[in-house]
Amino acid sequence: MERTASVPREDAAESPPSKSPARRFLSSLVRKKIAVLAITYITIFYLAGIFAPLFATHDPAATQLAVEYRFQGPSSEHWLGTDVQGRDIYSRVIYATRTTLLFTLAVVLTGGIFLGLGLGLLAGYKGGWIDTAIMRIGEVLSGIPTLLLILAIAATFRTRIADLAFWLRDNTFIGDEARTLLEFMVIVGATVPFAWIGTSRIVRSQALAIRESDFVMAAELVGASTWRIITRHILPGVMPLFVVGLSGGMAAIAGTEVALSFLGLGITDPGTPSFGTLIGEGAGVRTFQAYPHVLLGAAIPIILFFFAWNLLGDALVDLLEPRTSTR
Amino acid sequence: MAPGLFGYIVRRLLWAIPVLFAISFIVFVMIRAAPGDPVDTLLGHRYNEETAERLRQHYGYDQPIVQQYFTYMGNLLRGDLGISTRHTDFSAREVILPRVWVSTQLGIMALIIAFSIGIPTGIYAALARGTFLDPLTISFWLAIDAVPVFVAIPILQYLFVVQLGLFDLSWEGVWSTNIILPVAIMSLPGIAGIARFMRASIISVMTEDYVRTARAKGLRQRTIVVSHITRNAMLPMITVIGLSLPGVATGSLFVELFFGIPGIAREALQAILHPDYDVILFLVLFGSTMFVLANIAVDVAYGFIDPRVRVGQARGG
Repeated sequence: MERTASVPREDAAESPPSKSPARRFLSSLVRKKIAVLAITYITIFYLAGIFAPLFATHDPAATQLAVEYRFQGPSSEHWLGTDVQGRDIYSRVIYATRTTLLFTLAVVLTGGIFLGLGLGLLAGYKGGWIDTAIMRIGEVLSGIPTLLLILAIAATFRTRIADLAFWLRDNTFIGDEARTLLEFMVIVGATVPFAWIGTSRIVRSQALAIRESDFVMAAELVGASTWRIITRHILPGVMPLFVVGLSGGMAAIAGTEVALSFLGLGITDPGTPSFGTLIGEGAGVRTFQAYPHVLLGAAIPIILFFFAWNLLGDALVDLLEPRTSTR
Repeated sequence: MAPGLFGYIVRRLLWAIPVLFAISFIVFVMIRAAPGDPVDTLLGHRYNEETAERLRQHYGYDQPIVQQYFTYMGNLLRGDLGISTRHTDFSAREVILPRVWVSTQLGIMALIIAFSIGIPTGIYAALARGTFLDPLTISFWLAIDAVPVFVAIPILQYLFVVQLGLFDLSWEGVWSTNIILPVAIMSLPGIAGIARFMRASIISVMTEDYVRTARAKGLRQRTIVVSHITRNAMLPMITVIGLSLPGVATGSLFVELFFGIPGIAREALQAILHPDYDVILFLVLFGSTMFVLANIAVDVAYGFIDPRVRVGQARGG
C-alpha cells in the first residue's frame, strides 16, 4: 500500500493554513486525550531514567542481608518494599528505567534512524541495484526466526565477555563497568540487525512515491545533490510514516532487552538493574504467593510503559489514516 | 491458473533457494564461531584432550568450516538432520520432531482462539466507531498486549492453580485440561493486533460504493455487515493469518519454560546454551523456510483472489 498523502488532511477551519505540517500534526495529537496521557507517562519514565540519582531514594545496589530487611512489604522507608537481598525495589526500578532508556536509544539511533531511515531513503530514492541489494539483505534477515537468533547471538558472544572485560579493564581507561558495557553492546548488536527492516520498508515505499513528484524532478533539473534532495525534499514527506512506524515498534524494542535480561542473557551486573532481572527475581509462583510486591513493583511500571507506547502508536496511526479515525 | 501467476510462483520459489542458503550459511558460521563446542558439553568432567580430539574427528568438527557446511547441507538434503550431542542417545530428528509436533498443536489452538476473539472484536470496534466503546475495546486489548508473558504466567498460575486449584502444573500431554492456561496465555497478546487490523479493514470497506448501494436498497444492517462488509474486509486478513502461521510451529518460549511443556522453543534455548549444532541449525532453517513459504503463499493467495494485485506483481517482479 503506497500512500502519497503523508500529511494528515484536516478541515481547514480547524487548522489555519499558516501552520506547518509538523505543527498541525502536533496540534491534532494534543486533541487526543489518550495520546497525551501516554506521552506524559513516557516522558516521566524517560526523565526518571535520565535523572535516576535524583528520583532514587536508596542506592540500588546496596544490600541488607539481615532477615528482617529482606522481602519487606512497601513502607514509607521503602516505597515498593525490598527484594531478596534487602535492596530497595523503588530505587532499582528507577535505575532500570535508565537501562531501558539507554537500550532503546541505542537501538533507535543505529537500527531505526541510521539503518532503517537511511537505507530506506537510499533504496527508495536511488532504486536500481542499491535498492535490490538493500531489500534482499532485508529479506534474508527477516526470514530468520528473530528471537531464536537474538538468543543465539547473545549466548554466543556473552561467553567471551568475561575475557574481554578483563582485557579492557587492564589495557584501557574503562574500569569495572567494562563488563556491563560489553553486555550492553552484545544485546544491542543482537537486536539491531532485525530492528531496521520493517522501518526501512515503510520509508522506501514512501520515498518511491515522493521521488516521482514534480518538486523532486525540479530539484534534479537545477542540479541539486543527492544529499540535498533526500534531506530537503524526500525526508519531510517520509517523516510522519517513519515516526508512526517507529513508535509502533518502541514497546517491542524495549521488550527485547527485558526478555533477554529475564533469561539471564542481558545485563547481569547487580548494580545495573534491568526490568528483566527485577521481574525474574519475583516471577515464581511461590515467590509471588509469598511476596507479590517483588513482581508487581517491577512489572507494573514497565507494563504501563509498553501500554503507553501501544496507545501512542495506535493514536498516531489514526492521525495518518483520516478515513479510519474520528475516534 | 493464469500464466502470469504461475511464472510468478516459480520465480518466487527460485529466489527462496538462495535466501535459505544464505541464512543457513550465516547461522552455521555464527554457531561454529562461538567458543566451546558440543564435545565440551558431551564429555563434561570426563574431558581430556585425547578423547576430545578423537570425538571432534569423529563428528568432523576438525575440518574446515566451509567443508563442514557442505557436508551438513548435503546430508540435510538427503533427509538426514544430523546428530544431537545434548541427547546422546538420539538423532537430531528424534529430538526435534516430537517437540515440534507438541508446539504445533498448542500453537494451532492458540491461533484459532486469537483469531476467533480478534476478528469479532475488530468488527465490533469498527461498528462502534464514534462512541467511547471503540477506543475502550481496542485499548483493553492493547493493555493485555503490554503485559509480558513472563509476568502474566506466575500471576495466572497463582490464581488458577494455587488459589482456585482448577489445573495443575504437570504436563499430561496435549489433550488434557492443564493446557487451557498455557494456550490462553499464548493467544491473548496477539488479539490486539488482529482486532486493530480487522477494525481498519472494516472501516475502509464501509465507505465503498457497494455498501452504500446495499444501504440504499434498504437491506437490513445485519445483512450488510455480514455479507457485504465483513466478507470483503476479510480479504486483507489473509496476510495476517498467513504470516502468523510460521510462528505456530516454533512454539512460545516462556510458556514452554514455565509450564514444563516439552516443546520446541524450550529445546531451542537449551540447544543454544549447551551448543547442540545440528539441532539449532535445523530449527533456524525450519523457521526460516516456514516464513519464506508463508510469505510466498500470502502473495500468491492475494493474486489468486484479487486480479489487480496479480497484474502489479507481474510487472513489478
